Amino acid sequence: MTPSARLDSMAWDSRRILARLQSFLGLVVIFILAILISPKTGAGERIFLEAGNLTDILRQAAEIGVMALGMTLVILSAGIDLSVGSTLALAATITAMVLTRWNPDSGAGTRIFVAMLAALAACAAVGALNGALIVSLRIQPFIVTLATMIGIRGLARRLTDNTNIDLGFGHDAASTFARVGSGKTLVVTIFAALSIMTGIVLTRTVFGRRVKAVGDNERAAFYAGLPIGRTRIWVYLLCGLLSGVAGILHAAQNHQGNPNAGISYELDAIAAVVIGGTSLSGGSGSITGTVVGTLITGILTNILRLNNVDSNTELILKAVIIIAAVWIQQIRISPLARRKT
Amino acid sequence: MINQVTRRSALASLGVTLGSCGAKKATDAKQSFVAFSQCNNAEPYRAAQNELVTRICARSPDLRLSISDGQQDTSKQIAQIETLILQKPDLLIVAPNERAPLTAVMGKAMAAGIKTICLERDIVEPNYDTYIACDNHAIGKMAGEFIVEQLKTRYGKARGKIVELKGLLGVEAQINRHAGAHEVFDQYPDIKVVHEAVADWLQSKGRERMVEILRAQPQIDVVYGHNDPMAVGAYLAAQEIGREKQTIFVGVDGLGGPAGGIKKVMDGVLAATFYYPLAVDKAMEIGNRMLRERGFKPDKKYVLSSEIITKANAADMYQKLTF
Repeated sequence: MTPSARLDSMAWDSRRILARLQSFLGLVVIFILAILISPKTGAGERIFLEAGNLTDILRQAAEIGVMALGMTLVILSAGIDLSVGSTLALAATITAMVLTRWNPDSGAGTRIFVAMLAALAACAAVGALNGALIVSLRIQPFIVTLATMIGIRGLARRLTDNTNIDLGFGHDAASTFARVGSGKTLVVTIFAALSIMTGIVLTRTVFGRRVKAVGDNERAAFYAGLPIGRTRIWVYLLCGLLSGVAGILHAAQNHQGNPNAGISYELDAIAAVVIGGTSLSGGSGSITGTVVGTLITGILTNILRLNNVDSNTELILKAVIIIAAVWIQQIRISPLARRKT
Repeated sequence: MINQVTRRSALASLGVTLGSCGAKKATDAKQSFVAFSQCNNAEPYRAAQNELVTRICARSPDLRLSISDGQQDTSKQIAQIETLILQKPDLLIVAPNERAPLTAVMGKAMAAGIKTICLERDIVEPNYDTYIACDNHAIGKMAGEFIVEQLKTRYGKARGKIVELKGLLGVEAQINRHAGAHEVFDQYPDIKVVHEAVADWLQSKGRERMVEILRAQPQIDVVYGHNDPMAVGAYLAAQEIGREKQTIFVGVDGLGGPAGGIKKVMDGVLAATFYYPLAVDKAMEIGNRMLRERGFKPDKKYVLSSEIITKANAADMYQKLTF
């Protein structure tokens, strides 16, 4: 190694550490900003910093966050999944339907378990179908999942006859599910646990490496003998499954299975992923980034709403944040990427 | 997509028909074709309309009903009506997706000599035989008056803090349910709408928006939702942090069935909801007369009145409006 190469390599290392820190920079900036513009209580305390509010943010972000975990895997594999919002609605309606319309003699626990299992199975099947169509028919992921986005929405509406399935306010299995499943601690714990699990799968398993390899350079992955098709199918299956989890949380928190739930959630999930620095062209990105991206949008939404900012202004500001965040990511990534190749 | 919803009820075999059934043979000889152009089946309110109109038509064996779904797409609904015009229905009921764009095609139906009823949402030119109207402004006013009464009972005078959850901005129902209520609130300087949030008619958004509102507002006397699901969503958020008892939740729509607002009044979640008429029953009443009574000329407009639903009449209304 020549001296200059060694210097380069040192610079590269320090830059990598910087890059790591930089992914949190956006989060820190928005956090400080939120503290500064937070409205205050009568006693002069900043509402934003109240423990209740901070946990509200985690809980509000959890649904999109869980979906974004699956979306990260998909995008890392150089794909996209537009069907997650519809899949969420399917999970919510199936859970609610099983809970309210299936009346066996078994206890509430069994019924809740079966309802969730049915929803998750259906969503995993949707994901697997996405993957299988992409792999076997060689149609672009955008088109396949656009089609399933439409089709699954239709299915959810058909199953429910266009009505909301209400979980009620009683003491039966459906109400118990809603009461327990909407608990803040539970929702946040599920989000955290799934984030850690997905992170481990991505960084510590062969499967995770394959996901990135397929997304980074499919041809190289092919010559390396990696099972590209199988990896893809699993990625979409997991994405469907995670959307199913989000759908179950959605049903519990809103006390209903609504076939129109989750419209445009796919875009929120994609936004969280790209704000977190995952490249839409695949191969590079992380779960940490996605969690950060989810929290950035979560905090932004929270602070704007605490201040009662007009909802149209909220949308405009969100657009600005997405562009700004991705731009910051690019400044960081491009010199590294050039060096790598 | 056009769903052929042809139903003959068991009543038919008993020889019972709606309307003037003096000429029994006429019922067998000719079926009247009723076409209902629905703007979007995927809304619970419209699903309830479809259910009700199907039931009403099923009672008359001489009526054949077909419902087409515009899927919230104006150009789709226009194309569907154009197809219907070629089929020459005896009665055309249109629930327009949008006011202006549907005006011309309804004019075409009229020009083709089709008896046309405009349902619930007005169009720009009066291209219809009759218009069955629901008055959202009046509903907003009724809700406002109810809320003021509640505040007077609570504080002995008209004062208090209100949170308003709005429907999708720019929609007529949102505009008038807001304007009607504010017309009342504005008369009382001590009644303050402390937070207005847009929740797009959705229970999930109502809940989401309420989470922050509860943090920002330590005292909320009333939540006024432009529809029931948003008010219920707000209740869920308040319940989560144990504040649902301090606040009165008021909604609009009053649909039947387990997911509807009436059930929520019975459950004690909503203090009141205001019935937004399904309107198809009135449309069929007038439509039947147009089909059967020679020389009957309907009024140009029928305005349907709302009704307040509280615990006192909720059970009755539930029975009436649950299909």
